[in-house]
This record gives sequence, structure tokens and C-alpha cells, in this order.
Amino acid sequence: MTNQIIQAILLGGYYALIACGLSFMFSVMKIINLAHGSLLVFAGYLLWFFAEHYHISPFVGLLIVIPVMMLIGWALQAFLLEKSARGGELLPILTTFGLAIVIENLLFEHFGANTRSLAPYIGDLSWESWELFSGFYVGKTSVYILIAAIVILGSLQLFMKKTALGRQIRATAHDPDTAGIVGINPKRASAIATALAMSTVAVSGLALGVRGVFDAYSGGPQLLFAFEATIIGGVGSLWGTLIGGIILAFAQTIGANIHPQGFLLGGHILFIIILLIRLILAKGGVGHRLKFALGVSK
Amino acid sequence: MSSLKIENMDVRHGQLKAVRNVSLSIEKGEVIALIGANGAGKTTFLRAISGAHTLTAGRIYLNDNDITQRPSHQRVNAGLALVPEGRKLFTNMTTEENLLLGATSARKGEWNVEKIFEVFPNLIKRRHTKTGTMSGGEQQATAIGRALMSNPDILILDEVSLGLSPLVVDQVYQNLEKLLATDTTIILVEQDLSRAMKVASRAVCMLEGEIVLDKPMADITRDEITDAYFGLHKIKTNSGE
Repeated sequence: MTNQIIQAILLGGYYALIACGLSFMFSVMKIINLAHGSLLVFAGYLLWFFAEHYHISPFVGLLIVIPVMMLIGWALQAFLLEKSARGGELLPILTTFGLAIVIENLLFEHFGANTRSLAPYIGDLSWESWELFSGFYVGKTSVYILIAAIVILGSLQLFMKKTALGRQIRATAHDPDTAGIVGINPKRASAIATALAMSTVAVSGLALGVRGVFDAYSGGPQLLFAFEATIIGGVGSLWGTLIGGIILAFAQTIGANIHPQGFLLGGHILFIIILLIRLILAKGGVGHRLKFALGVSK
Repeated sequence: MSSLKIENMDVRHGQLKAVRNVSLSIEKGEVIALIGANGAGKTTFLRAISGAHTLTAGRIYLNDNDITQRPSHQRVNAGLALVPEGRKLFTNMTTEENLLLGATSARKGEWNVEKIFEVFPNLIKRRHTKTGTMSGGEQQATAIGRALMSNPDILILDEVSLGLSPLVVDQVYQNLEKLLATDTTIILVEQDLSRAMKVASRAVCMLEGEIVLDKPMADITRDEITDAYFGLHKIKTNSGE
């Protein structure tokens, strides 16, 4: 039992890490990025590519992949999201959905159907573990991933609260027109925010690759886990995302205990239950209730 | 050299022409009262100057630089600040954060957070309060302070007294007096005519998107303004013909 709790917390750390970028873009820019999972897999492939062909350790590879993903984020905002966000709340969902399909199929075309993993390139670390107390082991990578999630969420939170740029991004999210009147360049602020979100996606890609295997179509489940963690934790709260990830992992663990195939189902059922409870507890009209259920209204 | 110059400005809201062929030249240090009924086009005119609306025709010059095509944040950099109608504060942020956002353009000048608190002492205890929970007067003071933080050459105040109790309006204007004494150029929209006549050096009246009266306050009578406000002068000329 203790072991399962510890493992669930570690798994929750992974969910929180992959949810960082999604949660950040959702809370700050009100965009649900459905290409999040595919971009994450793309980052994983980039790291794999450098490791396989240039023998660059995936950890060192991050030094290249983070800037690349940030550039992609910047371009994504400037050429796609910015324009589609002007067409209403639904349009970015459709465009990022389309983008996900494009990325997945390009990856499939280029890298084929073989599954890949980053584990072979990190040496013994992939299977090393610490013995917490007699008989209880925790994988080193899992612990590192949890730490990474906490560090990233914490520094994003600090950045948004304490720095001028963070303030500008928050102001732009609140009201881009007024942000302009105050002297903020709203396009720049949004592009920086997207670039930041994509830098966390690069780290998530590393986590995905060292934990197990991925192929071109692995983005879907990652997106789903990230989305569930974000919503359970409540949009707009970055620490909530960490809690959300851990709660999701607990539900999955409990599901797996009840039935060998109940792992995924446990998470989904909890997600639905939380949505329903919020829907019932919320006051006001349908739209307002839905927003509350998703945790958008703060 | 005029501080702000507008040439033949047209602004549309879809089919509606909200501002029609407006030209206006403002000298440095002038305090202009922009007067007009609801729907006369004042707010649209001011929002177009600050870059929140695009023009269909005309040009805007700030200190002789053409800023017509510049986005709003560049206009702030160039020295223009708007206190928008309805205040438009970032309500989920504190007073201090709102003020600091006003300094984004980093123009040089005398204004800083401490100086704003000196001018609006009612804000001191609200420094770390989220502005959404504050009273109307405190919010208005924050909005003015936020605009001042950019050290503007021209300050535009749209309906500062809207939704405030007379007592609070008095307070806001008391604070503004210190500001009026500086050489900042000010355009203000004020529905209270006697107040507008007291603080401004020049009156500009708008009616149906056009400027119908533009005179120094000294040479103007209350009746002239009232006529322009309601469009009575049009009826008079019509009946005179």
C-alpha cells in the first residue's frame, strides 16, 4: 500500500510535468492547445535524433531542443494562434487539433512505425533506484521527473508573480486591448508566453522518452493525461496542476487495484466525477457552470 | 509646434460613422474639455487617438511624428496615455502591480509608484489589494496613476467621474489639480459642465461625430456650450434661413 502511494505520487509528478505547458497556455492565454501531446512527442523525437545520430546525451540535447521548441512556440503564436484566437474561443481548438494531426503524420512519415525510447542513451540511470526503506524502491528517473515538475511549476509561478514580463503576460491575458493602451506589446507578451510553455514541453518530451517508449501517435494519451491533470487541479493555478497530476495518478492506481485493466478507467472516472460535482455545485447559467466546472472562473 | 494634431479623422463602427472628418490641433500644456452627449463620438475619438480603434481616414501627429499606423503600445512609448472609460484596470492584480504595468514603456520622467501615492494618498493602504475589490474612487485613482506612470506628454482622461459619488469626484479632481499645474497636455471628458469650465482652458464640443464648437474657455458662455451639446445652433440656423 505504502509502495503504491509513493509510486502514485511519482507518477503524478510526471503528469504534472507534462501538464505544465498545457496548463500555462490554458490559464494565461485561454488557449487549449490540442497539439500539446504531439509537440511533446516531437520534442522526444528531436532528443532521440540527436542521441542516435550524434551521440548527444538527451540531457545535453535539451540545451538544443529547448531553444528549438521555444522558437516553434514563438512562431506558433505569431503565425497561427494569434490569428485563430481572434476568431473566437473555438477556433484555436480546431487549428491546434489540425496541427496535431499534421505533426503526427509528419513524424510517422519521417520516423516510421518503430517505437523509440531515450532510455538506452542515459546509461544505468534508466533502471537505477534508491531504496527508501527495506523493500521499498523508487526509480531515480521518476524522482528526477517529480523534482523537475516542482522546480518548473515553482519557477513559472515566481516568474509570473514577481517579474515585469510575468506581469505583462498576465495583463495581456486579462485584456489585450487595455494592455496595449498601458504600453505593453500584447503580441510580444503572448509570443513569449507560448515560447515558455514550449520550453516546458521540451522537458516533458525528455521525461516521456526516459520513462518508456513512444511512437508518432503517442501524443494523444499524453494530451489526455495532461488535460485531466490541468482540469482536476483547476485552471489558473499552477500548483493545482501538481495536485491534479497526483490525484489523477492515485485514481489510476486505485483503478488498477480493482481490476487489472482499470488503470486508465480509474483516472477517467475520477475526472468525470470531479467535472460533475463542480457542475452541480456551480451557480448560474449553463455557460457559467461549464466554466466553473473546468475551473476557468476564478 | 503642436503637441497633438489630428487631420480629417474618420472612424467607423461597421456601418456607423462614429467620427466624421474631425481635425484638431492641441498645443503643449493646454487642458482641453471634450464635451458632448452620449453617442457623440467622444470615446471613439479618444480610443482612435490612443490606437484602440483603427481610422478609416485621416492622420494623427504626436509631436510632429505621424503615429497613424502605430499600434497602441508604441503610442504610449511616444508619449500618449489614456485613462479609458470604465477604468479598465487589471482587476485580478494589486494596485501596485497595475501602477508598475503603467511603467512598461520606461519613458523618463518624474513619476514613480511613490510619487503616485503622494498624489493619491487614498491608495497607500490599498497598495497590495486586488483592484477588483476596491471602491470606484480608488479604482479611478489607480487608473489615472497607471496612465501617469508612463510619464506622458499628453494625458487623455475619458469620463473620470463616471459612476462615482459627487464626494469622490471632488476628491479625484482635488488630486488632479496638482497634475493640471504641470505642463502635461490634458484632454478630459467631463459631463459636469461647471467642473469642465473650471479646470479646462479650451472647450471642444462634439455632436454626431463632428466638432461643432472649439473655443478658449475664456471667450465662451454656458449657453454656447449647451447649444452645441444639444445641437440647438443647427435649428437656429435652419430657422434663420
